[in-house]
Amino acid sequence: MSNKNKSSFTKEEELLLQDFSRNVSTKSSALFYGNAFIVSAIPIWLFWRIHMIDIYASLLSFIVVTFISTYMVALAYKNTKFVLKHKVAVKREEAVTREVSRKLSEDKKMSKKEKDERILWKKNEVADYEATTFSIFYNNALFLALVIFISFYVLKTFTPAVYPFYYKLYDSYIHIYIYIYIYIYIYIYNYIKGT
Amino acid sequence: MMLVFCFQTLKAEESDASGRLLVSKQILNKYIVQDMDLIVKYTLYNIGNNAATKIVISDTSFNSDTFEHAGGQLKATIDRIPPGANVSHTVVLRPVRIGPYNFTAAKITYETGDESSKVQEAVSSEPGEGYIVAFRDYDKKFSPHLLDWGAFAMMTLPSLAIPFLLWWSSKSKYETLSSKHKKNQKD
Repeated sequence: MSNKNKSSFTKEEELLLQDFSRNVSTKSSALFYGNAFIVSAIPIWLFWRIHMIDIYASLLSFIVVTFISTYMVALAYKNTKFVLKHKVAVKREEAVTREVSRKLSEDKKMSKKEKDERILWKKNEVADYEATTFSIFYNNALFLALVIFISFYVLKTFTPAVYPFYYKLYDSYIHIYIYIYIYIYIYIYNYIKGT
Repeated sequence: MMLVFCFQTLKAEESDASGRLLVSKQILNKYIVQDMDLIVKYTLYNIGNNAATKIVISDTSFNSDTFEHAGGQLKATIDRIPPGANVSHTVVLRPVRIGPYNFTAAKITYETGDESSKVQEAVSSEPGEGYIVAFRDYDKKFSPHLLDWGAFAMMTLPSLAIPFLLWWSSKSKYETLSSKHKKNQKD
C-alpha cells in the first residue's frame, strides 16, 4: 500500500517532500554527527582538568557517555534545523527571488517555470544553509553553557566537603558526569520537541 | 584552625633561682596538603627567674612514612634562654601520604640555671589530630585554573564561532538585499 502511494509521487514532488521533511542528507548528517562529537568530547577536558576526575579510571564511562551525548546533540541539531528551515525560507523568499531573478534576467531563453524552479531551489538551499549553521551554533552554545552551569552550580551540592580535617575522599565523580548529560539530554530534547 | 595553644607548666623545682620553660608546638598551615610544605613552629618562653641552658628540642612525632623532611632541624639545640625571653624554632616538613594524622608533643630537655646541672625534661603542647588532604583536591578547590579555562575557551571557540559566522554572513547578505529593495521602493 505504502509502495503504491510512494510511486504515485512525481520526482519533483518527492524532492519537495524531502526538503520539508525531518530527514537530512548524508552530508548534513555527517556534519551534524561530527560537530556533535566535538562538542560532546570538549567537556571531558573540563572534567579532567578542572573537576579533576581521574580520566583513566573512568575511561570507559567517558567514552560511552560521549557517544550517547553525540547522538542526542545530533538529534537536537536536526530538530532545531527542521523548525528553523521553514521560518528562514519565509524570511529570505523576497531577497532570494530578487537575487536569482537579477542573475537570470539576461537569459531570455529560460522559461518562467524553469526560473521559478531555480528560485525555489535557491530558496531551499539558503534556508537549509542558514538553518544548519544556526542550529549548530545555537545547540553548541546551549549545550556548553548547560555543562558549565550544571557542573559548577547545580551539582556542586552533590559532592562532599573537600575541607580538612575530616574529609572523606571522593574518588568517583563519574556519576556527576552522567547526571550532567542526562539533565542536558532531557532539557534539549524536550525543548526542541516543544517548539 | 590548627593552632592549639596548650601551654604546659613544667614540674620544675619550686626555686626562685631556676629557669622554667613553657613550650608550645604549633602547625602554622591552615590546610595540610600532600606534597606541600607543612610548617611547625616551636615557641619556648622562659617564665623562671634564671636562665634555661643547654636546651634540646627533639621531635620524633613525625613518622617517616608520612612526612619527608624539607627544612630546619627536628633535633635542635639552643644554648641559653634568659629569664622572660622567647625563642622560636621552625621546622618544615612535607606530607607524602593523605589521611588523618595525630600531631603529638615534642620532647624538651634543659638545665634549669647557669650554675645548675639539673636536667629538666618537658613536653610541648600537642596540636592534635589533623587531616592531610590530597594535592588534587586542594588544587581543585583553590586553583583558578586559568590555563585550563583558556584551553577550554580555545577548544570551544571554533565550534561556536564558525557556525555563527557562516550564519551571520548569509543573514547579512540577504537582509542587505532585502533592505536595499525596500529603500528603492520608497524612493
